[in-house]
Amino acid sequence: MGKAKSNRHHGLWILIVAAAVLEAISCTMYFTSRAAIKREAEQRVQSELRKAELEINAVTIEMEAAAKMLTALAERHIENPDSVANATHVLLQTIDHVSSAGVACEPYLYPKKGRWYEVCSSRDTCDGKPCIYTREIGSASHNYFETEWYKNGLSIDSCWWSEPYLDAVGARTMIVSCTHPIRDKKGNIVAVTCIDLSLDYLQDLSEYLQIYKDSYYAIRSHDGLEIVPGADTVPGRKYHTYDEEIDATGWHISIKIPEDVIFADLNHIGRIVGLLMLIGLGLLIFIVWRSGRDMIQLVETTARNQKMENELQIARAIQMAMLPKVFPPYSDHPELNVYGMVKPAKEVGGDLYDFFIRHDKLFFCVGDVSGKGVPAALVMAVTNSLFRSISAHEEQPEDIVSLMNKAFSQQNTQDMFLTLFLGVLDLTTGKLDYCNAGHNAPVLVSVHELSELNEKSKNSKVESVNVLANLPLGIVEDFPYLAQSMQLEKGDMLFLYTDGLTEAENSDHDQFGEQRMAEVLASLIDSRPRHVSDTMQAAVEAFVGEAEQSDDLTMMAIRYQTPAIVMRNDIQQIPTLAEWIDGLGIPEELNMPINLALEEIVSNVMLYAYPHDKSGQVFVECTKGESLIFTVTDSGIPFDPTQKGEVDITLSAEERAIGGLGIHLVRQLMDEVIYNREDDKNVLTLIKKI
Amino acid sequence: MTTTITTNGNQIIASFAGRLDTAAAVQTAEDIKPLLEVSDKEIILDCTELEYISSSGLRIFLTIRKEAAAHGCKVIVRNINADIRQVFVMTGFVSLFEIRG
Repeated sequence: MGKAKSNRHHGLWILIVAAAVLEAISCTMYFTSRAAIKREAEQRVQSELRKAELEINAVTIEMEAAAKMLTALAERHIENPDSVANATHVLLQTIDHVSSAGVACEPYLYPKKGRWYEVCSSRDTCDGKPCIYTREIGSASHNYFETEWYKNGLSIDSCWWSEPYLDAVGARTMIVSCTHPIRDKKGNIVAVTCIDLSLDYLQDLSEYLQIYKDSYYAIRSHDGLEIVPGADTVPGRKYHTYDEEIDATGWHISIKIPEDVIFADLNHIGRIVGLLMLIGLGLLIFIVWRSGRDMIQLVETTARNQKMENELQIARAIQMAMLPKVFPPYSDHPELNVYGMVKPAKEVGGDLYDFFIRHDKLFFCVGDVSGKGVPAALVMAVTNSLFRSISAHEEQPEDIVSLMNKAFSQQNTQDMFLTLFLGVLDLTTGKLDYCNAGHNAPVLVSVHELSELNEKSKNSKVESVNVLANLPLGIVEDFPYLAQSMQLEKGDMLFLYTDGLTEAENSDHDQFGEQRMAEVLASLIDSRPRHVSDTMQAAVEAFVGEAEQSDDLTMMAIRYQTPAIVMRNDIQQIPTLAEWIDGLGIPEELNMPINLALEEIVSNVMLYAYPHDKSGQVFVECTKGESLIFTVTDSGIPFDPTQKGEVDITLSAEERAIGGLGIHLVRQLMDEVIYNREDDKNVLTLIKKI
Repeated sequence: MTTTITTNGNQIIASFAGRLDTAAAVQTAEDIKPLLEVSDKEIILDCTELEYISSSGLRIFLTIRKEAAAHGCKVIVRNINADIRQVFVMTGFVSLFEIRG
């Protein structure tokens, strides 16, 4: 669970880091974009302001040009006041922007006109059409001499611009006046030109200055008078302000743009990006959570599997420990040689074999639990102990199997079943009682004439044991199991197996089959059970090849034999004879005499029966009864040691011959020594009474 | 089967250990060759650790006995076990050797 927790932390860290990276990317993007947008907005504002300034400048220059034009016209016709009045009219006709144009003269310039003479043309509406209206407006009530524009107009020898002001007389709009002095032919300043410009046109600058929706601009005069008033700012709304001074007029243009308007697109994109980020993060959280959960599951499953595997290995060790492993197991029963093996398809298997000897009887069984793995293994373990405990007091196979079946059926909650071959072999008589509960029939490998050393295979027979169709264990609790019996001859071998052998499949799904098994057995007529099992296993593995083992593989071979040993004609094999005799379980006091007698005979055969360059065999077998009977057989030249003359043991050392002691000893040690020549073989029988 | 030969003054001692069977006799016959060439010595065949003897071993003993007689040596067999003594009795070897222990 520690691992799981650390994994959860791991996931959390991934999330935090991913979120931080996303956040960092978004922030960088946002602020970069914001700066770019702001820069762009500034450039746009500057550019528009310049256009506005240009326009204002253009109008200003036009006005100044108009003032100068009117001045020039007035100066030309200065003698004639009507011509001057006409000049104002013409100017208005010529230049659209001029709202009114006037000429104000010094006192008594035209004596006929009196002290005040100011003539002015302005735009008006006559009969619904625009028209120009020219009149004389100078009078005592309109004493222009005292006005600022007039004074400046007289004193400044150039264009003078008034501050914007609200026109009190005309269209009641903001106007600005431009004046210029008028000189007579002598060069004296005699009048002032005054051009009025309606600042209504500034309202039209919104074409340039209304840059954004909701943005506005304001134009203030140098004195702070609002020429174009700005709209009211909305409280709480943040504005960006841009100011520009118009050089020609000294006005200030100020543009205010709500921040949210400037960054409207950015905010929109930001919202989309934020939303996507949230979705991504959510997705990430989900993935991390899922993978974290999967990881936890994986870790837990792996840990569980590991534990289970360890436990399976222990279970396998326990299971293997239940099976007999020491072969050959009984040194006091040289007539018996047994070997068994189980190779589970999984860690633990449902096959079993077992055997033990009680009262000179071999109790043995081979079984196969339906299914594989742990459940089968548990049933196998139960079966194994049932076999052991019931066979400890029962001797009849059908009774043992019935009791096992009953016990097993009562415990069987999993609807499992077990096929079993159970036998009881009387080692003194060779009678085999057996009961087959639905298991594969064992194979009997028999050899008729053991003594026929080189032609055994000719007389061998490999056949299935005849079995009745009893039900497997665990199906019907009180099934009446029937036993059978048969006689085993010395040299016979019983080969038991489970279907894991015959049904072993190669990658083409061909089965090993009974035919192949029988062929292998036929080649192993006189082999030791262990060799039989090893050879069979090798044959199956060669057949199966790379294919996976599909079922538990179990084999057991029981050889009921005349204890015998085969040796080559090599005296270095003599120690194996001593080992064989040690394994016969004969009374200890007879060990040396038997050993000595057999060695004398066997070594004699080894040394003299065959030509030196020819290999041959010597075969010794033992039969235990009231006497110990040994037969020594060889295929060498005919030789009857019993015909050899006695040595005189009373002679002195000088007179004694070196040889001849061996057969003398044999005669001394044995009760009977009989020679026969049978089928071109020397057969010497040695009998020792027990 | 091992054979160890040592000398102790006038005595030459051959110590046998293990099973002197037909297979071992080949090597033992080689090992005891020094005994066949000595003269005027007392040859002791120490059988304390000899477990078993067969006729091929007996033949080696008899050979030693014959050669010793020819070279004026005396042969003493020392510490034979019950099995070997039985063989010595059966073969009349008890009367050919001086047996001690």
